[in-house]
Parts: sequence; C-alpha cells; structure tokens
Amino acid sequence: MNAILTLTNVTKSFQHKTAVNNVSFSIGKGEVVAILGPNGAGKTTTISMILGLLKPTAGEISLFNLEPHEKQVREKIGTMLQEVSVMTGLKVREILQLIRSYYPSPLDLEELINLAGLTEQDLKTRAEKLSGGQKRRLSFALALAGNPELIIFDEPTVGMDITSRNRFWQTVRALTEQGKTIIFSTHYLQEADDAADRILLFKDGSIVADGTPQQIKARISKQSVSFIVDPELSLEKLYLHSEIDDIYRKNNRVYVQSTDTDRVLELIFQEKIGARDIQIERGKLEEAFEQLTGNAQEAI
Amino acid sequence: MKVFHMQCKTEIIRVLRNRYFVFWSLVMPILFYYIFTNVVNTNAPDKAQWKAHYLMSMTVFSVMGSSMMTLGIRMVQERSQGWSTFIRITPLSDSVYFAAQMVGQNVIHACSITIIFIAGALINDVSLTATEWILSGVWILLGSLPFLAIGTLVGMMKKVETAAGVSNVLYMVLAISGGLWMPLEIMPKMMQAIGKWLPSYNFGNGAWEIVRGNMPDWKNILILIAYLVLFMLLSMYIRRKQEAV
Repeated sequence: MNAILTLTNVTKSFQHKTAVNNVSFSIGKGEVVAILGPNGAGKTTTISMILGLLKPTAGEISLFNLEPHEKQVREKIGTMLQEVSVMTGLKVREILQLIRSYYPSPLDLEELINLAGLTEQDLKTRAEKLSGGQKRRLSFALALAGNPELIIFDEPTVGMDITSRNRFWQTVRALTEQGKTIIFSTHYLQEADDAADRILLFKDGSIVADGTPQQIKARISKQSVSFIVDPELSLEKLYLHSEIDDIYRKNNRVYVQSTDTDRVLELIFQEKIGARDIQIERGKLEEAFEQLTGNAQEAI
Repeated sequence: MKVFHMQCKTEIIRVLRNRYFVFWSLVMPILFYYIFTNVVNTNAPDKAQWKAHYLMSMTVFSVMGSSMMTLGIRMVQERSQGWSTFIRITPLSDSVYFAAQMVGQNVIHACSITIIFIAGALINDVSLTATEWILSGVWILLGSLPFLAIGTLVGMMKKVETAAGVSNVLYMVLAISGGLWMPLEIMPKMMQAIGKWLPSYNFGNGAWEIVRGNMPDWKNILILIAYLVLFMLLSMYIRRKQEAV
C-alpha cells in the first residue's frame, strides 16, 4: 500500500488530560476514511496534529513522507475545519481567487464553483454577510481550491440540512472517483457507514477499532433472540450454555444475546421453557455504538 | 512574487472597503482641518503657517490612527474568527502574509497622505515647495513604523472589543497629549514636558519642522526609533509567551 499519511505512536497531552494516546495508523492513496467517535474522543486533536496546527507530545506524523508543516505538504492538502471562517471585506469570488493563487496548480475557478454549489449571487456577496449555509459552501470551495490530493474534513456536515448533506457526500464521492484521498471526522455512525470505506473508531483518545464499516458493525452490534415467558419461570437453565453471551429482561420480554441465534432457538425448545412470540433481533447499531463509546460522551 | 502581489492587492481592497477606516482616517481629519482653520478662530499669529502646521497635524493624526487601529483590530478579528488558522494550513508563508499586510498598510497611508494634502491645498490654498510636500509625506510614511508596531501589539489581544477599546483610548490620548489637536505650547507646562517624550509629538514635530523649512530634529528621529525597538521587543516577548501556553 502506498501510504500518504502515517501516524506512529502519536500522543498529545494537554495540561490536565491526554487527548490522544499512542495512536498509530496509516492511510493509503484513494482511501476514504472516517474518524468516528463521540465528542471528546480526540478526533479534532488528531486532525489538528495531522494538519500541523498542533505538535504531538510524542510520536511521529508523516504526510507524503514529509513533516506536516512543510510547504510541499500544504500544497497537496485541502481542509474544511469545524469552525467556518471567512475573510471580511472580500467578496466570495475574490476570496476564492486569492486562495487559489497560493497553490501551484489550483482547481479551475468554474469547476470549483460548480463542485461547491456556489451560486452567482453567492459569488458577489461579501464574506461577512454570508448565511451559515453559504459560509459552509465557501469553506468547502476553499478546501478544494488548491486541487489537493488529500482532503481533510473536520465534522463537515454539522449544521447542514439534509439536501446539502446529500449534495456534499455526492461531491465527495465524485472526488474519490478522481483518486483523491479523503479523511473526515464524524460522530454519526450512519454517516461513516455510508460514506467511508474504512472507519477508525476513536474512544478516549485511542483507536478501539480499525476496519471496513462491515467489520466494525459486526464487532459492535449484537444479535439476540427475544420472547415472552412466564415471569415466575427461572431461566437458569439457559445460563449453562456457553453459546449464550447474556440474558436480560426488558419490557416484559426476555432477550438472549448470542452470535449464533439459530443455536439459541434450538436451546429454547430443547429446554422447554414455554417461550411465546419469539423474535430474532439484529441489535440496533446506533445503540451498540453508543454503548461502546458511551463513557466518553458523559464526560461532556 | 505573484502571491505577494495578490496578497498586497487584497489587503488594500479590504482596508478601502472598511467604513471605519474611511471615516476615521479620511473624513474626520479633513473635517477637523476645515473646522480649526476656517470656522474656529485660533488667533494664530501667522495664518499661512498655522494652516500648513495643522494640515501636518491632521495627516499625522490620520496615519497614526490607521496604523494602530486598522491593522491591530483586523489581526484580532482574523484570529478570533479562525481565518488565521485556515491560512496556516495553506502554502502561504507567515512572512509573506505579514509583509503583505505591512506593504498594504503603507500603500493605504500613502493614499491617505495624498488625499489629505490635496484637501489642504484645495481648502486653504496651502502652498509648500515640492520638496516640502514630498519630504513631509515621506516623513509621515516612515514615522508611522512605531505606530504599526503598536498595531501589532493591539493585534495580540484576544477579543475584538478589547482591542478596539484599548486602541481607541490610546489613540486619543496620544493624539491630544502629543499636540496633534492643538499645539503643545498652549497646554500646561506639565503636559508639555510629558508630551515632548511621546511618540506622537515626535512624529508630528518632524512634519511641523519640515513645513517651517527646517529638517526634523535628531531627537525626533532617535525617540521614534527607540519606541519602534521597544514595541518590537515587547511584541516578540508577548508572542513567545503566548506560544508557550
């Protein structure tokens, strides 16, 4: 694999806490990677270090085999930060032209406008008078201005409505088809699942899982068999079987968790516990995700 | 070079579109000039000299203000709105960015000086020799450096409101006690003694000497250089301290 970005044992500590703890991963050309995790998991800190805005306390980061702050690196990356910023006193078109002039081979202005979905009206507007949505579009255009090989988005869809969100991901897909490498952070599993072909799952500053969305989902979602049974009846018999991971009661139903639901069904009949209204549940992904990353979320 | 040129051009456009700049640096000084040379009778013994003197005062007042406020407040704005962070990710180098701001600011000052000089010539028929016009213009341009350094100090503040408030007060205090609004000679002795050591007085005095047919005093030049060095050292010290946190 041709690695564009490599992090080796990267740690970032602030005065009171360690935001990123011994993280290592490597991203190859053309990958679309989601950095997934709840708020406070270290996503933004990691991205800031990749961009050279923060210096790691320990460990190494290399982009295109160079250090993040070097000019040759900056010429090849584009970014959309969480905080949308604008340059006051300039019209959108002027800002785009200014930023394009910083790069050796910028994207064609017309193409840039089309990709970002900017209208003729937007282009004439002064930056300080833009609405939230317009600012987002400008910020997206600025990320693409230099025709970057690697694009990094920090929580790109926060504050977008459904239409702009769909449009955004559509454009991102078109960019990946051109061979761009994309890294984005999100705290929505759904978004990571839809858009990325690899997920780095962050929790408390560490990577707890790294794989395709399918792999991650299989890891974090649990299947179970649920049924109604006489509440007086003891379910101890079921506990004796090692195939069963967990048994719990919720809303008058009994839930039996296992990776092998067929075997659970067999056991229910074998033990003759008189189960009624049997259902197979394919555990809710979002719930499992919250469970997995839950502790960090409470800290906010 | 293309980047630098583009960046300078942008900085100039931005300043010219700033309404506060146009008001404080062009409208106000010209209005004051008109009032204190035509409406209010100042009992100046030599009317023609007073008109030239006060034209210099107001030009110095204008350039001093835009050095301290336009630059400083914009630096704070850019940082607080995250624009500075974005620029750090682009290939634009810090030094080009800073240099372009300085060049842009100086071009703006040259424009302000020209406009106010022309206004003086039109309103009061101020007539100086070509050398005097050019020399005083150059003096005002160069003399603004310590005030640009104050501007970068203002630019290190965290909030736009603080930066605007502090630079406004500083601006007015320096302008009045430096004799830019009314000559230092009519102020109490105590004020005069202090005023002579302020950068604003030394900035103004150079220009006043030029329109009287003299050359700026060595003392004026040395004091301004001393202030420039002081403010630059201070700004380097604060910057290092801010980075350490």
